[in-house]
Amino acid sequence: MTRSALNPSCRRWSITLILSWLFTGVALAAVVGGLGLLLIESAPAWKHSGFEFVIGKKWFFRQSEFGAAPMIYGSIIVAILAMILAAPVGIGAAIFGVEYLPRKWRLGLKVTVELLAGIPSVVYGLLGILLLRNWIYEVFQDFDPLSGDTLLTAGVLLGLMILPTIMTLADDALRGVPGTLRLAARGLGLTATETALHVSVPQAFPGLLAAVLLALGRAMGETIAVFLVIGRQDNQWPSSILSLKPLLESGQTLTSKLGGSETNIAYGQPLHWGAIMGLGLVLLSLVVIITLTGAWLQRISFRQHQQHS
Amino acid sequence: MLEPILQTSELSVSAGSKKILNPVSLDIPEGGVFGIIGPSGAGKSTFLKSINRLTELSNGLKVSGQVYHRGDPVYGVGVDTDNLRSRIGMLFQQPVVFPCSILANTLFGVRHLGKVPRKEWNNVAEKALREAALWEEVKDRLKKPGQQLSVGQQQRLCLARTLATGTDVILMDEPTSALDPRSTEAIEGLILDLKETHTIVLVTHNMRQTERVCRTVAFIGLRDKVGTMLATGKLTDLQTKCCEIPELEDYLCCELTEPIPKAKAC
Amino acid sequence: MKRKLIHHLFRALTGLCALASCAILAGIVASIVMRGWSALNWDFFTQQIALVGASGGIFYNVIGTLILLATAFVVCTPLALGFSIVHSVYLRDSHWRGKLTLLLYLLNGVPSILFGIVGMVIFVQVLGWGKSWLAGGILLGLMILPTVSVTLIERIGSLPIKYTEAAIGLGLRKSQIIRSVILPQSIGGLITGLMLGLARAAGETAPIMFTATIFAGASIPGGIKESPVLSLPYHIFILAQDSYDPAVKAKLWGSALVLIILVLGLSLVALPARLKIHEEANHA
Repeated sequence: MTRSALNPSCRRWSITLILSWLFTGVALAAVVGGLGLLLIESAPAWKHSGFEFVIGKKWFFRQSEFGAAPMIYGSIIVAILAMILAAPVGIGAAIFGVEYLPRKWRLGLKVTVELLAGIPSVVYGLLGILLLRNWIYEVFQDFDPLSGDTLLTAGVLLGLMILPTIMTLADDALRGVPGTLRLAARGLGLTATETALHVSVPQAFPGLLAAVLLALGRAMGETIAVFLVIGRQDNQWPSSILSLKPLLESGQTLTSKLGGSETNIAYGQPLHWGAIMGLGLVLLSLVVIITLTGAWLQRISFRQHQQHS
Repeated sequence: MLEPILQTSELSVSAGSKKILNPVSLDIPEGGVFGIIGPSGAGKSTFLKSINRLTELSNGLKVSGQVYHRGDPVYGVGVDTDNLRSRIGMLFQQPVVFPCSILANTLFGVRHLGKVPRKEWNNVAEKALREAALWEEVKDRLKKPGQQLSVGQQQRLCLARTLATGTDVILMDEPTSALDPRSTEAIEGLILDLKETHTIVLVTHNMRQTERVCRTVAFIGLRDKVGTMLATGKLTDLQTKCCEIPELEDYLCCELTEPIPKAKAC
Repeated sequence: MKRKLIHHLFRALTGLCALASCAILAGIVASIVMRGWSALNWDFFTQQIALVGASGGIFYNVIGTLILLATAFVVCTPLALGFSIVHSVYLRDSHWRGKLTLLLYLLNGVPSILFGIVGMVIFVQVLGWGKSWLAGGILLGLMILPTVSVTLIERIGSLPIKYTEAAIGLGLRKSQIIRSVILPQSIGGLITGLMLGLARAAGETAPIMFTATIFAGASIPGGIKESPVLSLPYHIFILAQDSYDPAVKAKLWGSALVLIILVLGLSLVALPARLKIHEEANHA
């Protein structure tokens, strides 16, 4: 809005102009520099292992064997588990807020949920290590877990952590559905639930999917809480990719590996450090792909509604 | 005179501490077109929406008083508002077409209300589309998206959608204000056809339209910045009341053009 | 009636979801307050850490966290201002604006541990700072850039057009309009965004664990090189891994309580304003 009003005036050099672009440049340079660094520093590992780095199942750095597959598996399983737990609750809460609650209450609900999002991950980790870990161990005792440090524990904890993200983005998506559509449906005599299920949710669907994906990306990048409850067991590869057994075993994610002590000892040995940076690059790629897809879906959703209203 | 199908008794609306509409008591007889005229912002739409309790879906509006539909109270505990709205339909200023096919749009209410068995849906849709004078134009492309229709056609589609649910009262909120003259004429023609079988409450800005279709008219004006019903009766009666009600005179002076000689009336 | 039944069931179901979300917050806060309350006393805030966390207080941890936050504040403010102004005012091409928005999205999605690792290479190793408060502050400042910028951009975007039109009518140049109209009008957005960003930064561990913070043996930093600080989240992170000693546990819950008071306090002040800006910008 502001921009279009300003367009007619011509561009002149000024302190404001220079400083604005300068600081934007600094921010951009930091992003590009960070990415470049990940690429350059991880080069030795790629040269050494090639594609085997991504699909290799063994990681023994003393033998210069670097296979990241178990960690990629751990990251994906834990994030998907978190999503399965959090998505229904988060979307349900958003539907309740948008479709049934009066505005004031809806904002109250949103503030509460976003407060939940503000709780630091180390605090979630603490709750995980002191409470959740023991509960999981007791509840699943029949399955004989070795400890409470399992992929399941990490997944449940992450589910709690991404619940607010899903809820708040789903709320945005549902709010984006033009009110006139809702009013027209109610005017025909549909119940609030029928309106929600047959008008709002189908309309907001790309946005809801985006909410889930963006939360998935967030879950995959989360480090500290996962680090504390996952057991950090290297080289855990399931006998079958669909097997549920590994959920009650310890494991390792990309982030828990990066947050561990190996990062400190690896620096200075180009190959080992390259492998660590390679893990970072793999993590970044996964997160970026998920986030980009989510952002793309959000744009589709947004456009659809603009067209409509 | 016929027993009124809709009756409002001391119906008033406020938003927080701000009054929007002073109490309105009005009898709307069955059949025919009942017009509601008045300057914009006077609360005509709000009055209309409070008849089938759509006001409840807007934030912060509080309605007091009562409405009777066929003698049954509309406001009160235990009233099935969804069922009520399926009997008192609504047509909005802007056509609101759902993002699905023409047929699905026509059946949008029917499908969920569950009053009509599935095998009769197609007949219901055809009947409604015929009543809305849209059948001939769309019968070959019922599966095409409703949003591809022209705005005028979309408004008739919305009308068909409401008719299909079997309403006996249709509330129309300036249904032609977004349309070109030709589409407007089509809708007005439809209103004239429908008034034989339905009761229509029409909010309008267009005096020529009022004159053409309305049997009785209520004037809602702004008195002390609050919407107030100031006069009812035939349009010609209202014009004679001009001199007594300054708001009405103001309004008619601004809205009327040559066809109705308002100077003579005063 | 079947329709009514479905309606009520579904409403109850989604209501339960909403209730569960609120209950989780209440549960987390309650469990920390209950366990950590007894640890809070004057000494806890004024004394240094002792006996590997089993005794003493968290004085320098709080100070360290505040130093990191202040640095992040100083780093982030100009970057967010510049970025938002370029995005909302100087960029004429909506194509490039879209790209910049996407970049913010991506930056927001970058896992915080990557800030830590890349920061470790740059600051600790290449620049040779060792662990330094400045490195941590810079990384946290960059990390919260999206949070702050998005709030500011949304705020600028929802400014009534008449303000800028009036300023153009007066013959002001673009830079003058920015300084005299846009910035004063949107400063609230900047503050709100910064508070939320800092709330997030206060609890972050991953970006600072390799670059800025140690567990014990640091006080107020005297320079840049080899001058780490203590911090609250790292303190909790380390103690949590070794929490069998009941004395440690009590202090641990106390530290967690202090941290969530800091974080939730900042969020609670800023959130309503943030949500209002967001609604105005997106659902007007």
